[in-house]
Amino acid sequence: MAIKGGGLDRKSKAASEIPSSSLADIAFLLLIFFMVTTVFRTDKDRPIEWAQAAATEKIDEKVKNILNVWVERDGSIWINDRNYPMSEVSEVVGPLYAASQRHLVISVRADRETPYFYIDAVQKELVSAGVVRVVFATELERQMRGIRR
Amino acid sequence: MGILNQKKTKVSDQIPTASMADIAFLLLIFFLVTTVFPKDRGLAVVLPEPGQETEVSPKNILHIMVRTDGIVDLRRGESTSIQQVRANDLEAIWRHEVTANPNLIAAVRTHPDAPHRFMIDVLDALQLAGAERISLQMLEEF
Repeated sequence: MAIKGGGLDRKSKAASEIPSSSLADIAFLLLIFFMVTTVFRTDKDRPIEWAQAAATEKIDEKVKNILNVWVERDGSIWINDRNYPMSEVSEVVGPLYAASQRHLVISVRADRETPYFYIDAVQKELVSAGVVRVVFATELERQMRGIRR
Repeated sequence: MGILNQKKTKVSDQIPTASMADIAFLLLIFFLVTTVFPKDRGLAVVLPEPGQETEVSPKNILHIMVRTDGIVDLRRGESTSIQQVRANDLEAIWRHEVTANPNLIAAVRTHPDAPHRFMIDVLDALQLAGAERISLQMLEEF
């Protein structure tokens, strides 16, 4: 910057403004990134506390082929934002499973304190619906014991 | 238009580009706000198909019983002695047992009142140890 009054009064040749000609390009780049990565949510999250597991893996299936079955602490079941009694789970999941050409993966999202009785009941319903691939949704557990293996 | 009426048209024949950046930012902000990165992660298991039950030789089964307090009762094959372990220890136990018997199957049976997370802890330990044949059931006699 030139010092006013005294000193050299040469004008700086560097522009003092942020160049705005590439602004649109940057905006479009970001726009395309978000358009490509956006997946519109299919159901709302239920308020559950996640169980933690160190072996947590990403589900190897397209997002549209994943069906969330929420199991709350009191054993209530939520599928696609609707509450269903336990006995209807197989009737709800069965047609969806057939419609996906047996590609559907069920993500069982159960609260960490849910009694196993309900999980087992859900599991039996899923077996009778013919579902094979099931994932117990968990959060990745950070290991504090250093590197494994 | 008439032939005589040859005034130059004042409408520009180019798409105005001045507002392009604004439109792009508008869309960008929309997608920024609506984006939810999916959190689809967990422990994968394969359920048996209906009516597909296989007989397993009792000596190839490692019985793992999860109690309501999270303590795990371990029973090997045909023996009747029960060992009490923690879920974390199962990883090492499985690695040790499976080298002795590669056909080993983990039969995890959980008490109906035990919280879900204790079963997850056991499943986690088994998957970390590389176990693939895991059967999940509810504990019936206790």
